[in-house]
Amino acid sequence: MGKIVVILGFLSRLLYAEESTTQDHSFKNTCISCHQQQQIPSALIYKRYLMKYSTDRGMEEAMFIYMKDPKKENSIMPAPFFLKFPMKEKISLDDSSLRKHIQAYLEEFDIKKKLMLEK
Amino acid sequence: MLRSEKRSLIRFLIIYLGSTFILFSIASWLFYISSKHHLLDKQRESLKYEAEHIKSQLRILHQSNDAKLIYPNEKDSQSAIYNVDKEYIFGTFQTKQSLDINKYENRLYHSMKVEPYYLGAAYLVVAKDINFEPIGKLQRNIFLFMLGAGLFFTMLGYFLGKLFVAPMRDAMEKMNHFIQDTTHELNTPISTILTNIEMIETFGKHKENSTELKRIEIASKTLSRIYDDLTYINLNHKYHRQIVTVNMSRLVEERMVYFSAMAEAKGLDVTVTTDPNVILQIDKNDAIRLLDNLISNAIKYNRSKGLLHVTLTEDLFSVRDTGIGIRSKDLSTIMQRFKRANKSEGGFGIGLDIVNQVVSSYGFVLEINSKEGEGTEVRVKWEK
Repeated sequence: MGKIVVILGFLSRLLYAEESTTQDHSFKNTCISCHQQQQIPSALIYKRYLMKYSTDRGMEEAMFIYMKDPKKENSIMPAPFFLKFPMKEKISLDDSSLRKHIQAYLEEFDIKKKLMLEK
Repeated sequence: MLRSEKRSLIRFLIIYLGSTFILFSIASWLFYISSKHHLLDKQRESLKYEAEHIKSQLRILHQSNDAKLIYPNEKDSQSAIYNVDKEYIFGTFQTKQSLDINKYENRLYHSMKVEPYYLGAAYLVVAKDINFEPIGKLQRNIFLFMLGAGLFFTMLGYFLGKLFVAPMRDAMEKMNHFIQDTTHELNTPISTILTNIEMIETFGKHKENSTELKRIEIASKTLSRIYDDLTYINLNHKYHRQIVTVNMSRLVEERMVYFSAMAEAKGLDVTVTTDPNVILQIDKNDAIRLLDNLISNAIKYNRSKGLLHVTLTEDLFSVRDTGIGIRSKDLSTIMQRFKRANKSEGGFGIGLDIVNQVVSSYGFVLEINSKEGEGTEVRVKWEK
């Protein structure tokens, strides 16, 4: 019985890791590659959202609204930002995938992880 | 210093120093509370300053692109940042503290809102241990002040007390001098009268049971006893007692013979019950003063043809009369010098004061049971 539990646990972990890697891969292809091409400062955008919403939940919700309906009113970026960078096209991802991509984005640029105490 | 003067001075000092102490204690307590709050406020101000400093550091960290963001760590304080949902983000506390100010009740803390939310921080809490050193210094200073003030006011009180009791002391001294002079002047005529009465009685130049002679004898003995009491009071503070073995049984019998003329003149039915050979270690003059005053009071304040019971045992000496009695309200003060509960008879009010002095000197116990209009019983118990 114990062996079965261990094997099942191992398999589920393997599946999760695979899914996570697939998710990560998809996020980088869908979002980051384009951002890098257009030289969009992703870290800066993250900090701006963080400064306004404080929590991941708040940021995710604000980003989700903007992604579903990309327009100046739904963005927190200043007007001059859109002079330099084109307004984003409406995304074709379904809601669930979009939320997963946003969460991956927040995870990728989370600056709170960098916080540490001086040794 | 006279006894009454000393008593008045002590009473004055107790009231004066007691009220001053209470007043100073209240003032010092209020000062301490106010100063302590002031000291804690100063420490809180420094905490606010530290919080502002951390906030500015958060802004710099937020804008930094470094791979590691070193959280500001102040030497004497701990801090933590919380998001808008009051969830812990990061901090220097040893454990993750929730944003609950009650947890800081034994420490100083300062909580402030952060806006915009640098690093996602909506709240910043800074806490540090209270520095008790200045509070301890304040307590020491107040204690020293109280000590100094106490000494100063004790000296001032003593000086003022002396000033206040000076008129009373003068009056008492004048009275004492007067008594001293009077007793000195009384001694010679009283001795002369008593010696001559004895001579008349011895050599038989009088009629048997001469009433006139008896009256002269009683009056002379009364005067003699007053003289002895006054001398005793006058010399009491410098009187050197000679403790000897005294056969109280014999002494009581002697004193009863001495007072027999007075008792007879009042028609008293006298009963004397003494255990044989009751021995005390006592100054003989003290013993005489004790017995004389109690017996003479019982005769003086007895009703005519009343009863007088004198009892001496190994444990006590008791005198019971059927006289006017003492009011219950006067019982507590009857032993004070010059106190006379009843002025129907002559006297100076010093008898029971002398009895009380003797009783106190030897550690005896004095009990007075009296019922107004029925009589008085005075008991002196030898043992405590």
